[in-house]
Amino acid sequence: MDNFRILIVDDEDDFREAVIKRLRARKLDVEGADSGPQALERLSEQDFDVIVLDVKMPGMDGIETLREIKLKKPLVEVIMLTGHASVESGIQGMQLGAFDYVMKPVALDDLMDKLRQARERRAIQMEHGR
Amino acid sequence: MQPNAPASQSQTASPNPWSSLPGYGPALVLLILAIPLGLLVGFFYGAAALILAAFSFITARQVLQQKARAEQQTAQSGELLLQSQKLAAIGELSAGIAHEINNPLAIIRQEAEWLLQLSRKESSPDLEEIKNCLTEIVRQVDRSREITQNLLNFARRRQPVVQAVDLTRLIEDMTLLVEKEALNRHITINKQFQPDLPVIFSDSPLLRQLLLNLLNNAIQAVGQDGTVTIITRVVADKQVMIQINDTGCGISKEHLTRLFDPFFTTKPPGKGTGLGLSICHGIVERLGGGISVASEVGKGSSFTIKLPQALAPQEI
Repeated sequence: MDNFRILIVDDEDDFREAVIKRLRARKLDVEGADSGPQALERLSEQDFDVIVLDVKMPGMDGIETLREIKLKKPLVEVIMLTGHASVESGIQGMQLGAFDYVMKPVALDDLMDKLRQARERRAIQMEHGR
Repeated sequence: MQPNAPASQSQTASPNPWSSLPGYGPALVLLILAIPLGLLVGFFYGAAALILAAFSFITARQVLQQKARAEQQTAQSGELLLQSQKLAAIGELSAGIAHEINNPLAIIRQEAEWLLQLSRKESSPDLEEIKNCLTEIVRQVDRSREITQNLLNFARRRQPVVQAVDLTRLIEDMTLLVEKEALNRHITINKQFQPDLPVIFSDSPLLRQLLLNLLNNAIQAVGQDGTVTIITRVVADKQVMIQINDTGCGISKEHLTRLFDPFFTTKPPGKGTGLGLSICHGIVERLGGGISVASEVGKGSSFTIKLPQALAPQEI
């Protein structure tokens, strides 16, 4: 799986653009979306391997977006972004199929590690032909 | 779940003659006394004694046979009880779901009926009120979806995806998620991780769910001012052990046996669906491990998970 496509979903423009810039500096194929609906729109236009998704967004929040993503493209791995530790959304997110959690502010190395593991998982699952 | 043949069938068919001696006692006594009676008192008395002995014998025999049959039935009903308990658990599951969904449905009905009433009014409808009703309906629908989604997740039998997992880091990450809540409640999280814990091969998101659920439970059990301790260690048989101890309210003996049942909860209605521990149990099984609990009311609880160091990719 050479082309590793990532989608960053967060309503905070500055934060989102900063993450995208840093990931692109590491030679990754990254796109952005500023809301749940926009994320789903992007997802219908092209395939992504991993989606980094903010839990707290106005309108359609992270959990709702996660649900929709898992309905449309169940094999896409989702890493939840949380600004404040929230156990309930953590448990909910994991139960809904999120792969992992990252806390803001994001340590890029940490995010890279998790992206790598998510990508590996996706590769294994696709191999199994599921 | 197939019915099993009743376990204790062996000794009930022909009772040990010596054990039923007391039953035949009167008959024997009469028999023994019949001859001396006949000789001493008269033939008729002897004969009467013999007849009584015979009747007594027949009665005693019938009583003893009844007793044997009753014992057999008890054994059978013991099996049936076990099965009906299992079916009852499933019944409870369905009842649990039905109850949970009935609540939002009832509210939806109320709102809808109110909307109907509003629509029948002569004067122009109050838009604000209509909006409120509809908003509430949408909210209750979301609530129902969550219930069914939880159930779907619970019922989903997905094969675990095996990857190299740094367990220490995984537990640290999940601890970070609960740390703020713990701090707010003045609960200390004590980490006693084996320093060189090897990388294990397992399904990481499942492990995360498992740990989040258990950590959350531990914190809820403590409530305020207490300690949650997490211990990791390599144990015999190529396994790793994760133990989560809390100084919380503890679990009573009757609750312990039902602890991992779906929908079993000690929380008041509306708070928590009781799926947490049953999900944990399901996850641990899927990961090829085991979970056990020890608890003392008033002192705290200890949940011990044992997992294979390497989950073979084919295992379910």
